[in-house]
Amino acid sequence: MSEFVQYLVNGLTIGAFLALIALGYSMIYGVVRLINFAHGDVFMIGAFAGFGTLTTLGVTGGTALPAIVAAVAVGALTTGVVGTGIARAAYVPLLASPRLALLIAAIGVSLALQEGVKVLTDARFKSYPNTLDGGQILSGSVRVTWGQLALVVLSVALMAGLWLFVTRTMTGTAMRALAMDRDAARLQGVNVERLILVTFFVGSLLAGAAGVMYGLYYTQISFGMGFLIGLRAFTAAVLGGIGNLPGTMVAGVAIGLVQSFSAGYVSSRWTDVIIFGLLIAVLAFRPTGLFGERVVERA
Amino acid sequence: MRARVELGRAEQVVRYGGWPSLVVVALVAGQAMDDYGLTVGATILIYAILGLGINIVVGYAGLLDLGFAAFFAIGAYTAGLLMVELEWNFWLTLPAAVAAAAVAGVVIGYPTLRLRSDYLAIVTLGFGEIIRITVINLEVTGGPNGLTGIPPVTLGGREIVMPRDFYHLALAFFVVVLAATALLARTRLAYAWRAVRADDTAAEAVGVPTRRVKLLAYVLGAMTGAVAGPLNAAQLGTVDPSSFTFLTSLMILLVVIIGGMGSRPGVVIGAVVIVALPEVLREVQEYRGLFFALLLILIVLLRPQGVWPYRPRRFRLPAGAGPAPEPVSATGTLLEVAGLSRSFGGVTAVADLALRADAGQVVSVIGPNGAGKTTAFNCVTGLIPPSAGTVVLAGRDVRGRAPHRVAAAGLARTFQSIRLFDEMTVAENVLIGRFARDRRLLRPLSRADLDAVRRCLDFVGLLDAADRPAGGLAYGDRRRLEIARALAGDPRVLLLDEPAAGANPTEKRALMGLIARISALGTAVVLIEHDVALVMSISDRVTVLEHGRTIAVGPPAEIQEDQRVIAAYLGVPDDPDPDLVPEVPR
Repeated sequence: MSEFVQYLVNGLTIGAFLALIALGYSMIYGVVRLINFAHGDVFMIGAFAGFGTLTTLGVTGGTALPAIVAAVAVGALTTGVVGTGIARAAYVPLLASPRLALLIAAIGVSLALQEGVKVLTDARFKSYPNTLDGGQILSGSVRVTWGQLALVVLSVALMAGLWLFVTRTMTGTAMRALAMDRDAARLQGVNVERLILVTFFVGSLLAGAAGVMYGLYYTQISFGMGFLIGLRAFTAAVLGGIGNLPGTMVAGVAIGLVQSFSAGYVSSRWTDVIIFGLLIAVLAFRPTGLFGERVVERA
Repeated sequence: MRARVELGRAEQVVRYGGWPSLVVVALVAGQAMDDYGLTVGATILIYAILGLGINIVVGYAGLLDLGFAAFFAIGAYTAGLLMVELEWNFWLTLPAAVAAAAVAGVVIGYPTLRLRSDYLAIVTLGFGEIIRITVINLEVTGGPNGLTGIPPVTLGGREIVMPRDFYHLALAFFVVVLAATALLARTRLAYAWRAVRADDTAAEAVGVPTRRVKLLAYVLGAMTGAVAGPLNAAQLGTVDPSSFTFLTSLMILLVVIIGGMGSRPGVVIGAVVIVALPEVLREVQEYRGLFFALLLILIVLLRPQGVWPYRPRRFRLPAGAGPAPEPVSATGTLLEVAGLSRSFGGVTAVADLALRADAGQVVSVIGPNGAGKTTAFNCVTGLIPPSAGTVVLAGRDVRGRAPHRVAAAGLARTFQSIRLFDEMTVAENVLIGRFARDRRLLRPLSRADLDAVRRCLDFVGLLDAADRPAGGLAYGDRRRLEIARALAGDPRVLLLDEPAAGANPTEKRALMGLIARISALGTAVVLIEHDVALVMSISDRVTVLEHGRTIAVGPPAEIQEDQRVIAAYLGVPDDPDPDLVPEVPR
């Protein structure tokens, strides 16, 4: 039983990052109908930006809350800018091209980010200073750390912020309209290109924050870390029903739980087989994901 | 490759003499190269075979596959295991590897055919990862070390171990696969693939069995690609799981992206670039990946159609009109719809619709926008299942059947928003309409197909435009082409959804003439239309819908006098212009 609770706690923590990354996939897919392959690598860039911030501030360990907040903020803003820049340079020029061209461009950007960071870091792992060592809330058979709680709270706060942004602001409303019908939104006076860039900014922001959180939690980061996590997060976005933000959040947490339980009860070697097998099985029976999508496929 | 000669000639040279000369060049180059060059050359040929495989799935059928390395792996492991564990001969493992890949193609293809294209991409990616992780985790496949000790290929008692011999073997494999895919490209199936890629709903509606066509793309692509697996295993003497990663799938995909989707010469160019470029860049090892990534982005931005884009083959339409089609022995009632209902959630779009059309009749359905006319059409053609009711076509119940089966039973349609296969030529569009009559896939185009294409194009007056891309036609011509495509299946019943929308008075008169000629063939025409003058002048009977309910049925003269119809739709005579029915653009 205590084993089960422990996996549950770990799964919820992992799910908190995954949901943040998945939301970016979902939002970006909503407005440009693109599986942004580079999104996992944007997450990786966020982890490195946060690492850079912490080392620049000279943090070496202990509980340095202001430094952590600074790292998350810098990481998120960096990826926000990087994500917007990518969209401007590589995706916007291709909006009128066949969808496949856009996807290939995204794959190219993904490779370029990975290879770029690989060259810059000499293909080495980097280790985050152990700043989340705030002790344990629960110890004994089930361990819950303050760090885990902090990550989950931060993640929930970011998601709540996103929800308010999407439902309560004019820009967020326009974004939802854009996801439903680009031409109609344009005819109503929405500046489509600008809004696409805003979406990339917000989506990448979340991924960057998740990247720093990942670094704080697992401490080891490398140029290739975005690929598998990106795939798992995209799986969550599809399962949640693409464009469906609450569904995506739930599915992100669910994938985190699947990852934790399969690693615990089966073997971490089979985790991805189980996750992708689940994806195929769900889509075979529910082609629009578990909770239904909120976008319309254009002919 | 070749100096830029005049384009048209270059095309001809390549189409008829290019491949043999390429093989000669490859043979001559094989004599000149050292062992290193020959090994790279053989790898290029292996990637070209993989490229020809993925070209079927992605290039022809437009199904994005991001896990194609899975089929490469399945081919390699099947052959490797049979050779190492059961000591099978290489040549015997080849069919086994191809068969295993075919099974895998069905397994991954069948449950995912309903998915939208992007989800398909992610599912194939997941499938690729599943295969890779599984072979790493299983004991029988040698775990992370893979299989070792695979014997060399023997041919005529001689072991093929020298790089030069292996290069020739790979070249022979490539030529065989190339010939097979070239034959495949001439079949009706290849045209069906391109139609499905352009618009699968329209393809299904005019008679293409889209699910079978897509599944065949998966299976045939997987089988083609799997050939590369045993070859690769024999070249290296090992099967290494690290050569089947996502990056491998990406490289295989890039072969067709760089070369040009659907283009076989493009596959060769793509394979050369993908394999040779990294070798050239070996000097700057660490920047290789970055360079490659940037090159990829540049290609997509600057030349998204690829280096050697696909060019449609010209149709050789018969010079004279072929024999007249066997008259559709059509008399009596051809379409009988009764009690047809359809609701979406709580909204009833169509309620208790009855519709009858006899041979040679023109029956019209009119009503305000949102009255349920197009929904009724969609129910009749099987595009959406009706909630209740019967649809009987020439004595056969077709309710609830797949649209291509309804089309095959003799019911053709056009769409309110014209749905052509824009990237295909005018003649090719009409050819797809033939699938309603003849669903065979693995056959070349028959004389009857070409005759029908010519006849239908001539019938609507588009014969001169036969080889032009459909996407470039003017609006009126697009409407006529859609009608020609519908006629190509010799339908008993033709459903036209607002064919006069957006037409000028001259075009409307021509359209009326066309409809009259179609009904004179014995075909029953069912028409949705807002142009009241047109409807009243050519219809034998008119059905008026409002809010999904039928409010009047009868000959035009009666309908024009019907008070309810006037109130709901026609309007009172002192309207500014009774002919100008308000139309909401969609």
